[in-house]
Amino acid sequence: MTASSIPDLGSNSLSTSDPAAVRSWLSKHHPKQLALLDKFEIELRLGRLSSTTKAGPDGVIAAVGATSTSDRLLVTRRTVGLLKHIIGATRWKNGAQLLVLLRGLGRELHEVGGFREPVIENIVRRVMAAVREEAAGEPDGKATDTGRLSLQSILWALPQHVKSPSNRSLSRTDSHQRQSSIASEADLESTNEFPPAFYVNRPELKQTVMEAIQEIVTELEDVYGNIEDQATNHIHAGEVILTYGKSKTIERFLIAAAEKKRTFQVVVCEDSPSFGGHEMAKSLAKAGIDTIVIHDSAIFAVMARVNKVLLSAHAVLANGGLVASSGSNMVALGAYNNAVPVVVITGMFKLCPMFPHEGQDTLNDLVSPSKVMDITEIKDDLLSSVELINPVHDYVKPEHVSLYVTNVGSFQPSYIYRLLAEYYHTDDWKSFE
Amino acid sequence: MTTEGDQQKAAAAAESKKEKKKPEGLVIPPKKPKLSKAERRALQEQQRAAKAAAKQQPEPPKGAADPQNEPGKQNATKNDAGSAGKDDAARDAVQDKSDQKTVSLFSHLPPYRDPKSVVETGPHLWPKGVSLPSTTFPLHPAVIELGYQYAKGEIRGGNARCRAMLAAFHQVIGDFEPPTNNGGLTDMRHQIDQWILKPSFQYWTASCRPHSVTMGNAFTFLKTAVASLERDMTRDDMVEMIQETIDAYIRERIDLAKQAIAQQPALQLSTTSTTTTNNNNPQVFLTYGKSEAIAAIFRNMAASDQHSSSSFRVIIVDSRPLLEGKDLLLELRASGIECSYVLLNALTYVMRDVTKVYLGASALMSDGGVLGRVGTACVALSAHMHHIPVLVCCESYKISNRVQLESITGNELGDPSQVAMTTNASSSDDDDNNNNNGALKDWLETDNLRLLNLLYDLTPSEFVSGIVTELGIIPPTSVAVLLREMNPQN
Repeated sequence: MTASSIPDLGSNSLSTSDPAAVRSWLSKHHPKQLALLDKFEIELRLGRLSSTTKAGPDGVIAAVGATSTSDRLLVTRRTVGLLKHIIGATRWKNGAQLLVLLRGLGRELHEVGGFREPVIENIVRRVMAAVREEAAGEPDGKATDTGRLSLQSILWALPQHVKSPSNRSLSRTDSHQRQSSIASEADLESTNEFPPAFYVNRPELKQTVMEAIQEIVTELEDVYGNIEDQATNHIHAGEVILTYGKSKTIERFLIAAAEKKRTFQVVVCEDSPSFGGHEMAKSLAKAGIDTIVIHDSAIFAVMARVNKVLLSAHAVLANGGLVASSGSNMVALGAYNNAVPVVVITGMFKLCPMFPHEGQDTLNDLVSPSKVMDITEIKDDLLSSVELINPVHDYVKPEHVSLYVTNVGSFQPSYIYRLLAEYYHTDDWKSFE
Repeated sequence: MTTEGDQQKAAAAAESKKEKKKPEGLVIPPKKPKLSKAERRALQEQQRAAKAAAKQQPEPPKGAADPQNEPGKQNATKNDAGSAGKDDAARDAVQDKSDQKTVSLFSHLPPYRDPKSVVETGPHLWPKGVSLPSTTFPLHPAVIELGYQYAKGEIRGGNARCRAMLAAFHQVIGDFEPPTNNGGLTDMRHQIDQWILKPSFQYWTASCRPHSVTMGNAFTFLKTAVASLERDMTRDDMVEMIQETIDAYIRERIDLAKQAIAQQPALQLSTTSTTTTNNNNPQVFLTYGKSEAIAAIFRNMAASDQHSSSSFRVIIVDSRPLLEGKDLLLELRASGIECSYVLLNALTYVMRDVTKVYLGASALMSDGGVLGRVGTACVALSAHMHHIPVLVCCESYKISNRVQLESITGNELGDPSQVAMTTNASSSDDDDNNNNNGALKDWLETDNLRLLNLLYDLTPSEFVSGIVTELGIIPPTSVAVLLREMNPQN
């Protein structure tokens, strides 16, 4: 994009967010970090991230984290860990350089599999927002330009709208804010991607950024706890709750309610063809919850007796819509037609700053149909030309979702857009593609 | 339909099985009901029934309610078959377990019966809670064999079950000879009704599998037909008359009706409007599971297609456990129709391309609701929400005078262990747990865990744009009108 306009800030610094440039920069200056990145990418491609940063031999990884692809929180935590490590160990002088590096990493991760796991991009954006916040602050820690409500920040949010003359006048009127700036007037004119304060070399920035990342890590650690605390607000005695497939968040939510002496029934849909519902039902039953397993086809039939539907999320979209495992939309429609509330239980790290312009294709993925029809059944020519489709996800419209229960509180779908501003900076919204 | 050899084999098998447990051979089904024996048996049965009735009250509910331990025969059973007793105990244990595993929300529905228990219970041993008919005429082997096929699910689908039932009656009535000792029932019409129709139907319904609406309608029709015969016809005339009636019913109400549906002018790929049916913009039809009428419609379309086979394609949505869509897929592919095959989870994904949805039905409720294979309502709902027309295709003999608001009040429970299976291969008829490596394979041992296998669901009439019958396409609200037109006497 505007990478070309970034001045070369010295041979040691990264000048563009191109993934290849990031890799070559890392290999030149920080080979250890590059090795770490490679390892993460390999695990991501294989779909088995191990739960610790230091993974053992391959066999161990497979044994420990075989199911980890469905555990988005783990993916998020691993990504933060990686970012933290790279940010902490690499050499950069100011916020702008760091943001260029992070964007480069974001693109790199998107390419190797991030498009399947939107949480990775989310957390990169989140860290970028934190960096922006810290970099915009005064050296003494007092935030002056946090990028929220000031007119100036709104202008900077869309720098292409800021014409050079106005830029000049702006810099004149606000010059007192940048008295400590060592950036020259010429620098300011040639760079319009980041606010001027971002180009100030600040040695203490690394520490504040690391603190900000640590805050994010702490929040991620508390995700389940914060969600579980709300369980009794939503589940009361004697309810019949329907849930679809397997979700660790929902499992812990329900078990938390059961532990607080709420007695209720859970109807679990099997989620064919992946059958996540079977595992879910088993662990719920083991926790002492009255569990019934049904075929996906019986969803509408059973819906007449259901009080509440709980859905899990693959991603929460900017319009309040939901991307969840395929088949969820049918559940949501069934609930909507029976006036049953649909409650989505999710951590807010799944919030994606994107709109579902592609409908059902949004963040979707088509995988092998071997579970739809076994290859051994396609013996004769008759079946060889049949189209078999096995999508992984479904998009659910915001009007079919009643409530989002998240680690930061419960919200209506119509409020979700507001949370975006809290998590990400508008400049980082664009995709890492 | 089966060959005679098969029946004899089945009868012989049943006989030998019985003989092990009951050496006296009191109630062995004959290969063909023969006159002299039948008469003796009827007498014996009457005595036995009277005895049982006398002793029925004080019996403890558990063991003695099991018809195998009838008081009169208790000694004999115990003496000769210790193993049978063990079997009983085992079965009782299973029964207890499955009692725990019934879902309280659905406890009003009759529990699923393992087809094996149908065989073990035997043809004459009426299940718990079914009162013995006053005159027990032994059930014909064809009836028993069909009952087993019903229970096992070998014959399923509204049309197939009804056809099989009528075919069985056709055969049984053909074999019927009025006994000389008729126990007071001199009218052959009553004999057929009391000794053949009623007990057979009751056996199928109570011991094997609850009857479908199609079977119920056909049975009512047959009863009425028999009752309205002339009293003083000869045996041969009467049998011929009844058989003709049965054949006509199968031909007109099922087979010809299906053809008439397929040839409904409104369903044809329109030849006049070239805008919708050119090759650039082919019609995409979606259907669920398997239905004879739907298959006939698509075959007819393919046959009359003037452009090429690519002016329409069919998306078949299927779901576990029956995966009946695979049969339809093979059938349509054999007719050269372009097909897609997806499971229910991909429903929303494929729905955007669809121009029309065709669904089959097991029964039509008189309020316009459609009772169909479980999952039908999900498909109709999804299409309705996408504003895609939903056409339900069914023969008019499937119209029921019942009304149902949702799927739960009237439904049928299937084998719960099918839910635990994780294979999508077509259901194999051998041991259920053979190829089950899923997370739920030990569900019977897991506390708090129950599996529910509903067989039907009710599609509310709001989701249905039109109902295609052999009499035309009607809105769902007019089903009641059609019902009234068809049965003016009610």
